[in-house]
Amino acid sequence: MAVGGRAQAPASQGRADSPAAQRRPQTVGPQSYTPEQVKLGQTRFAAQCGFCHGRDAYGGEGGPDLTRSLLVAEDSRGDKIGALLRTGRLERGMPAFDFSEGDRLAIIAFIHDQKTKAESLVGGRRGVNVEDLQTGNGERGLQYFNGAGGCSKCHSPTGDLAGVASRFQGLALLQRMLYPAGRPTPDPPTASVTLPSGEVITGKLAYRDEFTIALIDSTGWYRSWAQTTVKTKIDDPLSAHFDQLGEYSDEDIHDVFKYLQTLR
Amino acid sequence: MFSSICKRCDKNPAATMNSRFRTVWMSVLMAAMPIPALAQGFDPSLLLKPRTDSWPTYHGDYSGKRHSGLTQITPENVHRLGLAWSFQTGLNIPIKASPILANGIVYLTAPDNIWAIDVRTGRQIWRYTYPMNEGFHIGHRGAAVYKDSVFLTTPDAHMIALDARTGTVRWNIEIADSKRGYWSTNAPLLVRNHLLVGVSGDFDNLPGILKSIDPETGKTQWVFYSTPPPDTSDPTSGGATGGQMWMTGTYDPELNLVFVGTGNPTPVLNGAARLGDNPWTCSIVAINPDSGKLVWGFQASPHDTHDWDAAEVPVLVDANFRGTPRKMLMQASRNGYFFVLDRTDGKNLLTVPFATVNWTSGIDKMGRPIPNPAKDPAPDGRLIAPNEVGGTNYRSPSFDPKSGLFIVSAQDGYGIYFFKPEHGAYGWAGADYGVAGKAVLRAIDYQSGKIKWNHDLGDGAGTAGVLTTESGVTFTGDTAGNVLALRTADGATLWHSGIGRVGNSPITYELDGRQYVLVAGASGLYAFVLPEERQ
Repeated sequence: MAVGGRAQAPASQGRADSPAAQRRPQTVGPQSYTPEQVKLGQTRFAAQCGFCHGRDAYGGEGGPDLTRSLLVAEDSRGDKIGALLRTGRLERGMPAFDFSEGDRLAIIAFIHDQKTKAESLVGGRRGVNVEDLQTGNGERGLQYFNGAGGCSKCHSPTGDLAGVASRFQGLALLQRMLYPAGRPTPDPPTASVTLPSGEVITGKLAYRDEFTIALIDSTGWYRSWAQTTVKTKIDDPLSAHFDQLGEYSDEDIHDVFKYLQTLR
Repeated sequence: MFSSICKRCDKNPAATMNSRFRTVWMSVLMAAMPIPALAQGFDPSLLLKPRTDSWPTYHGDYSGKRHSGLTQITPENVHRLGLAWSFQTGLNIPIKASPILANGIVYLTAPDNIWAIDVRTGRQIWRYTYPMNEGFHIGHRGAAVYKDSVFLTTPDAHMIALDARTGTVRWNIEIADSKRGYWSTNAPLLVRNHLLVGVSGDFDNLPGILKSIDPETGKTQWVFYSTPPPDTSDPTSGGATGGQMWMTGTYDPELNLVFVGTGNPTPVLNGAARLGDNPWTCSIVAINPDSGKLVWGFQASPHDTHDWDAAEVPVLVDANFRGTPRKMLMQASRNGYFFVLDRTDGKNLLTVPFATVNWTSGIDKMGRPIPNPAKDPAPDGRLIAPNEVGGTNYRSPSFDPKSGLFIVSAQDGYGIYFFKPEHGAYGWAGADYGVAGKAVLRAIDYQSGKIKWNHDLGDGAGTAGVLTTESGVTFTGDTAGNVLALRTADGATLWHSGIGRVGNSPITYELDGRQYVLVAGASGLYAFVLPEERQ
């Protein structure tokens, strides 16, 4: 979940961290569970997890597709998933769950079973492959990058974007290009707060709504103020990405994507 | 956690262990000794003119305006609002339901759960929890009341009638087969002795079902199909299934018509598998509540390929439209367009976008947006506004009669949509991903469609519905977790409280001479009121 007033899509929309563009990661080792465990897990999953991850664990309103999750692939009989269930990932909207040991294992069994089933589907369920995205023209993409798109005002192929195509591929790169949310989290915008005394405090924006502004100052402290008591200035480079969404043609998007793929 | 008994009925958590046994005894006694009939039961005819101390149906009344005549809380004094009580569900999930208030009892729902809460204290009177099931637990919209029964739909597409006094089960019926992929989040609509209940189901190719149930017996009175039922060779939908009626409709007693929004077609993103307009998906349908027969239909999104339900509230307004008195129906639809219809015959009066849209090539003679084929989902992706969440969603808008403003939680957002033949023609049949969005409360002048004011709500999509009052106050929530009071005339902020994200629409009522605003934030419920006057 987006904490703070960043221009960041909520989990239900972003899914920029969804690895759906990539080959489904392979499970570390064979694991076997009883049909009873899987069945119980299905019930528990639908009731407690289906709300966000979909009743089939293929992703839903807010939560990613677990059958494509690296953490699930690396899990061995609950050593990763079990720990996550206990602690949650509050910063991303995932609560902690206090399941009984039996229920926890059943849910883990169900997730692994769903992953195995998903891998056996022919033709692929909803998902995007890297090869689907190769319709653009990199030359035109470069022109757009330096010209109409205005991308080069903030980005450089030898600077921040050097090697970007090695870090992200396929859908993940496309989503990152359109709006850089998800993991790794882009740097927060820089906020400057002018106090009534005239003192200016600058730092990374930590929270913003209509009433409150907060930043992490240069000493690492979280500091917040009522918006009515200070003047604020926020430099949010992501706003240019949002504005560009209204400018792109679909061809532009595929061209720039093709160009970015060359930055390995 | 769960025993084999088919219900669980918790009394007030403050009660002692012994009272758990008393509860059981009470239930047995109540079952054995009939309580004098309807001493406090909810009279369904009150829905025609709800009392100010109640909010007895999802929209508060039949019109769907979510506008209250109460005037104690004003733009001048709303900043003095304070908390009267709060109620915590203790669940991990946000409340997406509208509270229902009848006979001094608030009924609040979440998937598998309903709480009866004392409106004066916020204390739990009883709680009913439905047995663990494999249905889809995506959310819940609310309950319905009739005489001394309260009704709860379930994730496995059942409807339960509970004794409104005790939470004990009276009957339990299957609305649709959850094993085929149906579920229900629906707050049923009561029209006389017809309890209208809808279901959902996007991941399977299923016909859209709205059922009329006898609230006394649970027997089915009629079934309306928005797309052809199985085993018929009816070609009218062009092969589309879907069109689920998962939101609560509205009702005009004079016309004796119920208006319901229908959902998207299935397969969802694969339009090639279902050519043509695909009626009656993404439509507003007018149905006779006695017969279940369609009287007219209007398609908000012909041949939808973006999951844009037209399930949003069909708001009924009687007023002049450009000088002529009209019985109108207004909808801000998920596809980003605001529609005004004449609800006597479904003819279009106005179609205008209220949020960022890039998917149309014009408006046709019937007032319907024309989908641009270049914006159909494609193998390499198409950038579409709005995204799947929509220009708005199920959260209620409000119509303020005095200012003529239709106030809706809008989103200017973009998503990227994919489809290739290998995705097939079953269920979702494609892929789509939200890119980014901004939430804005918009006040639309219903006669021109012009936006009178905007109030930024934050990044992403808003989750709060809207309530307006006759005194000129608008209540809603932002994306940061504040409930807001705004001035209806210009959208200026008057008051806020950080109760957590508002997941549905506030309600208001008058009790013991004081006006309350009741609103859910995150997984709790909060009652706000002006300070008591000192004697």
